[in-house]
Parts: sequence; structure tokens; C-alpha cells
Amino acid sequence: MVDDTASLSTTPDEPRRTDGPGGFVPQRPSGLSHLRDAMLAKPSRGQVVVAVLVGVMGFVAVEQFRASEEDLLARARRADLVQILDGLTQRSERLESQVRELEQTRRDLVSGADTRQTAIDQARARARQLAVLTGTAPATGPGIALTITDPSGEMPASVLLSTVQELRDAGAEAIQITGGNDAAVRVVAGTYFLDTSQGVDVHGVRLEPPYTLTAIGDPPTLDTALNIPGGVVEEVTNDGGRATIRQEDELTVDVLHEPEEPQYARPAPETGEDG
Amino acid sequence: MIPAIGLLLGILAGLLIDVEIPLSLQPYLPIAVVAALDAVFGGLRALLDGIFDDKVFVVSFVANVLIAAFIVFLGDQLGVGAQLSTAVIVVLGIRLFTNVAAIRRHIFNA
Repeated sequence: MVDDTASLSTTPDEPRRTDGPGGFVPQRPSGLSHLRDAMLAKPSRGQVVVAVLVGVMGFVAVEQFRASEEDLLARARRADLVQILDGLTQRSERLESQVRELEQTRRDLVSGADTRQTAIDQARARARQLAVLTGTAPATGPGIALTITDPSGEMPASVLLSTVQELRDAGAEAIQITGGNDAAVRVVAGTYFLDTSQGVDVHGVRLEPPYTLTAIGDPPTLDTALNIPGGVVEEVTNDGGRATIRQEDELTVDVLHEPEEPQYARPAPETGEDG
Repeated sequence: MIPAIGLLLGILAGLLIDVEIPLSLQPYLPIAVVAALDAVFGGLRALLDGIFDDKVFVVSFVANVLIAAFIVFLGDQLGVGAQLSTAVIVVLGIRLFTNVAAIRRHIFNA
């Protein structure tokens, strides 16, 4: 089919071909000199055509090389493809199980963080409640302001004590006492009342009359509790003083109590749910 | 001289320009390239033999490429494309070896 330029002859020195159009008659025996002549030959149309053909071949060959490099899989044998597929499947399974594990870890961490956050929130809320009860935080809300005047200056501390007791009985949640000398005390669990020559010593702070008790709680209930027969108001009146009660929708108890480290009492080991 | 420059230019163009080979041509191109290589080596051998001829080379080149591609195409239509491709490659490969051997003898005298 294509036997003009290349024959299967094994004796290249004696070419069999004799039917060439005869443009090139061998004059010298050396092949290399033919080559040199060809390289130095004057450009002709035939040479240009040959150049174009050879150039196209080079171009296509390079493109083909590149295409072959690109799709290795298209050229791979079936056994290789099966192996490659196997490898990829195993790899994808491994990665999928890794994804599952990581997702599980993530869920655990997220829910763990939620639980911890909830616990922290609850603890904070409880700390706020306890701070109000122990007097380490200001409190605000409805309540009453009770003013006790003592013109004679002989009001015993027990009156204040029973007033506080009465207020607590009626559900007061935060109480502070302000004296006429602008000293003020937050009433807490450890608050005590002592008689002094001038006024009353409340938890180490000397208060002079008139005393103003600010109590946060249900105003009508507190009012009623103080006004019962034989109650605080009557007692103060009997002692020569005057007690006036003012119900307020919004009161602030802002005197703070400095908690002291207990010297003897330590928290007992937990025995129940609520410690 | 000019053909050598043409070959270099073609290779350079192939390196620089990235042409997407049409899918319909893809099975025939490798065979065509091998056939063209066969023609080129045959031409080189004829040159060394001193019997090179432009017209013969061009005709043989084109015929080589077309026939090789046609055989593969025929094989594809008959359902024996892979086998015929192999056959063509084997034949062209043998011819390539022969031609290169002849060229070698010319150049190295061995």
C-alpha cells in the first residue's frame, strides 16, 4: 500500500526500486553525502510540501502525546482498572467511616457544650438568687418603706428586731435599714441588734433614729403584717415613736453586705441531691 | 533543510497550541501518526539511498496515513477494530525497524 519510500529490502545499498520519477540520480555512493546534499539543496515547491506534511505530523504527534498523558485511565487494562477501582472504593469507605466518626464527635462536643452551658446558666441564676438572699447583690422590686421616728431616743433595739422578724414573716425578701445619721445596713442572716447609748448598733454599724426600713416583698401583705393589733406600729406608738408605712411599686435595696469567711463552719460533705 | 525546519515548527506548534482532538478522530490519529512516521523514515532512507523523490514521498505519505486510518475505521465497523489496529501497528512497526536499520547502515556503515 505504501511501498514507494520504504521497502522491506534488507540490502539498502542496492535499492530495488527503479520506478521513481528519477529526480534524484545517485551519483555518489555515500548515503551521508546524499543527506548533506539534501540539506543544502535549494528550496523547491516539493520540499515545501514535504515540510508541511512533516510539520503536520509533528504537530499531531505532539498533540497525541499530550492527549495520551491526559487520560491514563482510558488506556489502562481491565485488570488494572478493576484494581484501581478496588483501591478507590476501599479508600472511599475508609474516608466515609472517618466522616461518620468525626460527625459523631462533633455532635458529642456540641451537645456537651450545650449541657455545660445550661449548667453554667443555672448556676449563674442560682448565684444571683443567693446573692440577693445573702445581701451581696442589690435587689429591686415592689415593697414598703417603713419610717420609725424616735423623738425620745429610747427606742430599744428589740423593736427593730421584731420589725425585721415581722417583715420576714410576711415574706420580705430583701431588707435594709437606714439610720438618721445616713448609715445603712443590709439585713442578712447574721444581722444582730444591740442597744447603745445613742441609737442602735446593727451588725456593727451604729444607727441613729429615725430609722427607715426598706423591704422588698408584697406591699399589702407587709403593710398588713406591720399594722396588726399588738404589732410593730402599735409597739412603736407605745414607745413614744411614730411608724409610717409607704407602699411602693419599685424599690431598691442597694446596701451590700460584706460576707466574712466563716471561722468554724465548713460546708458539710454532700449527702443529698441539692448539697 | 526546509522539511527539517517544518518538522521543528510542527513540534513547536504542537507544544505551544493546545488543540482538543475531536472525539471522532481519536481512534485513528495514533495509527495515522505511526503511518506518517513510517513514510518519513522511508523517505529518509530513500534520501540516503539517493533515490528520494518529492512527489513519491508526498503520495506515499498521504496514502499511508489515509489507508492506515481507513483500515482502522473498517475494523471498527466490522467489530474487529482493536485487532486490526494491532495488525496495522505491527506491520508499520516492522517497516519502521527495517527502515531505521537501513538508515543506520548508511550512517554508521554497520
